[in-house]
Amino acid sequence: MTGISESMSTINSLEELADKKTIIHQIHPRVKLILTLLYIVLVISYKPYDITGLTFYAFYPIILMVLGEIPFMPLFKRLLIALPFSFFAGLSNIFFDRQAAFFIGSLPITFGLISFFSIMLKTIFTVMAVLILIATTSMPKIAYQLLSFKLPQMIVEQIMLTYRYISVLLQEVSSMYTAYILRSPGAKGIKMQDMGVFVGQLLLRSFDRAENIYMAMKCRGYDGKFLYAKPQPMIKSDWMILLMTAGLLFLMRFFDLGLFIGNFVR
Amino acid sequence: MHMADALVSPAVGGIMLAASAGAIAYSTYKCKDDLDEKKIPLMGVMGAVIFAGQMINFTIPGTGSSGHIGGGILLAALLGPYPAFLTLSAVLLIQALFFADGGLLALGANIWNMGFYACLLIYPLVFRPLVKKGITKGRLTLAAVLSVVLALQLGAFSVVVETLASGVTELPFTAFVALMQPIHLAIGLVEGLVTAGILLFVYNMRPELIEASAHNQKLKSDLPLKKVMASLLIFAVVVGGGLSLFASSNPDGLEWAMENVAGTAELESTGDVYDTAESVQSSTAFMPDYSLKSSEDGSAVGTSLSGVIGGGITLLLAAGTGALIYFVKKRKEKTA
Repeated sequence: MTGISESMSTINSLEELADKKTIIHQIHPRVKLILTLLYIVLVISYKPYDITGLTFYAFYPIILMVLGEIPFMPLFKRLLIALPFSFFAGLSNIFFDRQAAFFIGSLPITFGLISFFSIMLKTIFTVMAVLILIATTSMPKIAYQLLSFKLPQMIVEQIMLTYRYISVLLQEVSSMYTAYILRSPGAKGIKMQDMGVFVGQLLLRSFDRAENIYMAMKCRGYDGKFLYAKPQPMIKSDWMILLMTAGLLFLMRFFDLGLFIGNFVR
Repeated sequence: MHMADALVSPAVGGIMLAASAGAIAYSTYKCKDDLDEKKIPLMGVMGAVIFAGQMINFTIPGTGSSGHIGGGILLAALLGPYPAFLTLSAVLLIQALFFADGGLLALGANIWNMGFYACLLIYPLVFRPLVKKGITKGRLTLAAVLSVVLALQLGAFSVVVETLASGVTELPFTAFVALMQPIHLAIGLVEGLVTAGILLFVYNMRPELIEASAHNQKLKSDLPLKKVMASLLIFAVVVGGGLSLFASSNPDGLEWAMENVAGTAELESTGDVYDTAESVQSSTAFMPDYSLKSSEDGSAVGTSLSGVIGGGITLLLAAGTGALIYFVKKRKEKTA
C-alpha cells in the first residue's frame, strides 16, 4: 500500500518544513494566504496564447522556494498528481487547434502548442504557490486565519479535526490492509466484494473512536466550542511585505518581460 | 475529478467559490439548529476515514483495474446531508493544500462538483425517499448505486461546463461530454456497489446509525430544500453575474494597458479594434467564444519567435536568480 505510507510521509515532511524559521516562515500567515491567492488569480488570468508575459511569474515561486528553503522533490511529487489531467486538457489543444502562429525555420508552431505550454506553465506555477504556502505555514495557523476571514467556526473545527486524525486513520487503514494482504496471497488489492466489510469495519471502529474522543474532550471541559489561542497581529513589516509584493505582482501583469527580452535579443 | 487551478479562469473559480461558500454557510446554519456537540468529533474522524478510505485500492473483478471510493453519498448516509457536506469540504481543502489534489482557487468548483451534488442534492432527493419506507437490502443497494451514479454524472458534467467556460481547452463540448460521462458511469456503478456493500455491513451491525440520518431529525417536508435551492440559485446568479462582468471588462483593460506599456506600436491600431470587438463580445456572451481567436494573437503580442526566445530567457533568469540567492545564502551560513 504505497499510497498510504506515501501520504503519511508527505504530511510529515510538509509539517517538518513548516517548522523551519526562515524569513518566509516568519511572514504573517494572513499575508501569505492573500499573496498566494493573488498570485494564482493573476497567473490564471493570462489568456491561453500569451505565454511570454506568464514566464515573468516564475520569479515569485523560485525566489520564495529558495528563501523558504523548500526542497524541490516534494514539488515534483505534487506535479505528478496535478499534471496528468492538465496534460490531457492541454494535449487536446494541440490536436484541435492546429492553426500555425509562426514558423521557426520551417517548423510550424501552432496556437494549440502555445496554449498547451500555457496550461503546463500555469499548472506548475499554481502548484508551486500552494506548496510554498503549506510548506512555510503550519495547518493550525492557516485554520486560525480562515477563522479571521469569517469562515464559520464549525467548518474550521472540521478542518482541524480531520487534519489531526488523518495520520491516525492512515495508520489504522495501513495495518488493516497489511493484515488483509497477509491473509490473501497474490492479491493486488482488496477484492471488490470484501470492500463493504473492510470499510464498514473501519467505519465502526472509527465511530467508537469518535465516541472515545468525545468523552476525552468532555473530560477536558469541551462544551461544543473550541478554544483558540489568538494569532499574533500583523506587524509593520508584514504590511510592508504584503503591499510591496502585491504591488510587484500587479506590475508584473502589465509588463511582458519575456517579449521585452526577446525583442532586445533579436 | 479534482480540478487544478490551471484549468479554471478567475471568473469561473470565483463564481464556484462563492456558490460553495454559500452552500457551506447554509449547511453551517442548518447544523447549528440540530447538531449535537457529540457529532463534531464524529465528523472530524469521518473526514479522516474518507480521506484514508480513498487510498484503499480494490480490484474490480473481470478487469485488470482498480478503483477507490469517493465518499459523498457514504458520508451523507452516515452523518446526514449537512454535516456530510461540511466534512467533505474540509477533506477537499486538506487535499488541495497538502497533496495538490485540486487547486486552491478551483476548490469551490471541487466542493461543488464532489460535495454539493452528492450530499445536498442527490441524497435528500434520491437516496432518502428510496429508503424512507423502511430499509431492506434491495432498497439500500438500489439507493446507493443510483445516488452515486447520479452524483458522479452531475459532477462530471460540471467539470466539463466549468472547464469549457474557463476557455482553457479547445476540446469541443460534445467530445468532452462523450469522454467524461461514460467513464464516470462506469466509475459510478463500481463505486455505487462498493458504497452499498459498506452501508449494508454497517446497517447489519449498527442499524441505528443509518436509520438516524435516513429518517432525518428535523427536515419535515421538502420545503426547506426548495428554499435552499432557490436562495443558492439567486446567490450564484447575482454573484456570478457581477463577477463575470468584472472579469470580462478587466482583463481587457489589463491587456490594453500591457500593450501601451510594452510599446508595441505596430500592433496598436489593430489591437484596439480587436480589443473593443472582443470586450463587446465577451460582455454579451457568457461563455467565451473561440471564433475571435485571431484577435487574441493581435493583442497577445507574444506569439512570435522573439516571444518564445524571450520567454525562455525569462524562465532561465528566474531560475538563475533562485540559484544566486541559494549560493549567497549558503556562503553566508558557512561564514557565520
